[in-house]
Amino acid sequence: MSARRRHFAETARTAFVAILVLCRFVSPAAAEDEAPAAWESPRMDWGVPDLQGTWTTATITGLQRMDDVDELVLTPEQARRIEQGSADFMASIDQVPEGDLAAGENVGGYNTFWMDPGSRLARVNGEIRSSLLIEPEDGKLPYSLRGWGRLLKTWWNLDNVDNPETRLLGERCIVGFGSTGGPPMLPVLYNNHYQIVQSPGFVMILVEMNHDVRMIRIGAERLPAAIQPWLGDSIGHWEGDTLVVETTQFNPGQSFRGSLRHAVYISPDATVIERFTRKSEREILYEFSVDDPRSYSSIWRAEVPMLATNSQIYEYACHEGNYSMLGILAGAREEERNPR
Amino acid sequence: MQNNGSILASAVALALLLPSSASTHHSFSAEFDANAPVTLKGKVTKVEWINPHAWIHIEVVGENETSVAWMVEGGTPNTLLRAGINKNTVAIGTEIIVRGYQSKDKTCKPACKANGRDVTLADGRSLFMGSSGTGAPRDGADPREPSRNK
Repeated sequence: MSARRRHFAETARTAFVAILVLCRFVSPAAAEDEAPAAWESPRMDWGVPDLQGTWTTATITGLQRMDDVDELVLTPEQARRIEQGSADFMASIDQVPEGDLAAGENVGGYNTFWMDPGSRLARVNGEIRSSLLIEPEDGKLPYSLRGWGRLLKTWWNLDNVDNPETRLLGERCIVGFGSTGGPPMLPVLYNNHYQIVQSPGFVMILVEMNHDVRMIRIGAERLPAAIQPWLGDSIGHWEGDTLVVETTQFNPGQSFRGSLRHAVYISPDATVIERFTRKSEREILYEFSVDDPRSYSSIWRAEVPMLATNSQIYEYACHEGNYSMLGILAGAREEERNPR
Repeated sequence: MQNNGSILASAVALALLLPSSASTHHSFSAEFDANAPVTLKGKVTKVEWINPHAWIHIEVVGENETSVAWMVEGGTPNTLLRAGINKNTVAIGTEIIVRGYQSKDKTCKPACKANGRDVTLADGRSLFMGSSGTGAPRDGADPREPSRNK
């Protein structure tokens, strides 16, 4: 079996099991709680809302609607079953039989020694969500044919192991994998922590994965068009108590953002608008829209709770010891010498 | 066009939902050989507490008394720290048992490599504490956890 087919088999199995776990117990939906009472945000010395702190977006709610679920909002009973099913699944992959491990295509090489995806479904305004996407209503990314084409083209190139530059940016330690650094910032398998620090004229977001830093300039001029930072050019302003950030000028190399949790394609000239609103002492509501007519047939929007965490954010100096790149390339050369 | 896009989307949704080469920092199958499971027993010679993945070095003594150096890849230190594991959790000289899969690169230079699917101490205790019950991973969802934010 080719490496590409093995890759597909590996992830297809993981996807299948995850979908089963998430969808097994689903039935009609309703809101869990009443909307929380109004809460007044603390403020910085210069008057703007205080968003500072360490936050996490870890959740088992995926970007897109889980299969076999029509509604955005789940009932508490649905949520309980899905969360328990997810916890049982995570526990099961730690419980392997005694003796030698099995050989084969779908060996499940990763368990909780490697992953930390969270354990709860996303709660937004008291609703338990079946997807982070809230628009389109079906909870699916509205890829256009051209967008699918771009995604497929990237997909087929994923197995190119000719040299380091053919590998994904995450493997190369250029940026975090998936869209963890964004924008939009989406949950991945682990390291979903973000630290926000504010000063007059700036909002800094430290992205734990890859130690990426987003420097949002408040009310500033855009960078020259020829400059396309890896995480785009982000300009912010305040609308009441909400920080609004508009990002454009994405680096073409960062268009494909794939992870176990999502696969999105953001064109270099897309516009991503994010809204950060502190809802309580423990939560920032993170909303965003993606306007990318080159890849999608409509604008898509999502809501992600950013929850305060007592956990520290640790440095992720990816180049510190990226033996994996050497291993991937050396393994490919080995397969060329001794094809199966 | 929208309908065509939806049909195509359905046909390839599973494949595109989870691109394998991007499942963690790197995909399992990009680096490791699923057909080469290994069970290694040896003493820890070095712990590299580095990103993007921690590595535990062990010396495995074979039946003919020859020793082979292995280095075992684990999770990211960030996640391991949150799971209660740090660089000093496994002291140098500790005997551990590793079950995992050897790398596709089998040149064993400077050491043989494997992923650490399961790492246990000689007394049978697991090195890591995985999620169970309500889930060990920290997602900030436990209101009993005191907040460091204002």
